[in-house]
Amino acid sequence: MPNIDGTRVAHTSWVRRWSVAFALSGAALLATPAAWSEPPAEGVAPPAVTAPAPAPAPQPTASAPAAATDAPAAPSDTRGLDSEVQDLKKDVVDLNKDLFVLEEELLFPANTQVAVFLSMDVGSFFALDTVQLKVDNKEVANYLYTPREAEALLKGGVQRLYLGNLKLGQHELVAFFSGKGPGNGENDRDYTRGASVKFEKTVGAKYLELKITDRQRKAQPEFEIKDWD
Amino acid sequence: MVALLACLLVAPLHAAPAYALLGREAPDFALHALVGGNVRLSEHRGDVVVVTFWGSRCSTCRAPLAALDALFATYQSAGLVAVGVGVDDNANASREFAQSVRVRFPMLMDPDKGVARDWQVDTLPMTVFIDRSGKVRAVTRDVGKNAEAVYRSEIRPLLDE
Repeated sequence: MPNIDGTRVAHTSWVRRWSVAFALSGAALLATPAAWSEPPAEGVAPPAVTAPAPAPAPQPTASAPAAATDAPAAPSDTRGLDSEVQDLKKDVVDLNKDLFVLEEELLFPANTQVAVFLSMDVGSFFALDTVQLKVDNKEVANYLYTPREAEALLKGGVQRLYLGNLKLGQHELVAFFSGKGPGNGENDRDYTRGASVKFEKTVGAKYLELKITDRQRKAQPEFEIKDWD
Repeated sequence: MVALLACLLVAPLHAAPAYALLGREAPDFALHALVGGNVRLSEHRGDVVVVTFWGSRCSTCRAPLAALDALFATYQSAGLVAVGVGVDDNANASREFAQSVRVRFPMLMDPDKGVARDWQVDTLPMTVFIDRSGKVRAVTRDVGKNAEAVYRSEIRPLLDE
């Protein structure tokens, strides 16, 4: 996959998903007794192999006297249960956020942390396709942009392209930008440019920004790497 | 007895092989486009997504792509997203094929077959149907001339959910 953010990021995402999924499934079990029933078995019907559709919610039947007698108490019970579920969901989200912060502090302590961000300004002369990032001649990120992502960057979004650890001392960051332009429509040509920077990693987190701007005078895109120190 | 034996021998040949991803979350991918814009699958969570795998030397791939294009034109406004993924090594052959079929949805290329491996593509054409929550709900392998009817029967219920 082009998005190579490293296993730690994948692990972070995995832990977050599971923590949310675990808590939400607990909430769902509390809220709906119907969820205790077993899911239907998978069916195979040629030529299409189809997974079972989600089971529809049980329909109330008019002929059930028990349901009719319980009916007046049901709305307040449901409201109470609903607010409890909402509270539980909020707790899960808060817990997940705290876990995420803690995990990031643990995996990327400030003394060794290096983060690389990407931003675009205007972008008339360059349509971004991919960015490849090398630190000390080792590829650490290779990201493919969709039109939606490129649009978000053009609207002022900043993407954290890489988060990693480096020891103290001199390092070199090289970024290769691929895309289209400069040109008009069908005359757009494949365009690849590189930019590099040597930086000193000191105590404290290091933040670098890859910036793509338009150089109006030369009608060319400009690629620069800024050190946020 | 003979009929029973014949049934036992012939039945497995016609049965659609099981698909391990069925009911599971569809593996995410981001691929370069040959036609249209690059696609990241996770961007389309909330839409019904149909992913069809093709090859430039696959003679039976054109009809399903045309059928999918017709359905895409009809149901795009209802939240249908379609993508074609070419699994050729040869980028030029893929590009020529993608341009020649003239479909309205993005045609992507997977030259190193990483996505095809993740998606356990075992035959071409193969089409996978993903629901709005990102789960794989159905798969069809070579469906021949019935492609449009088969695809519609899979897509309609997913759009209605």
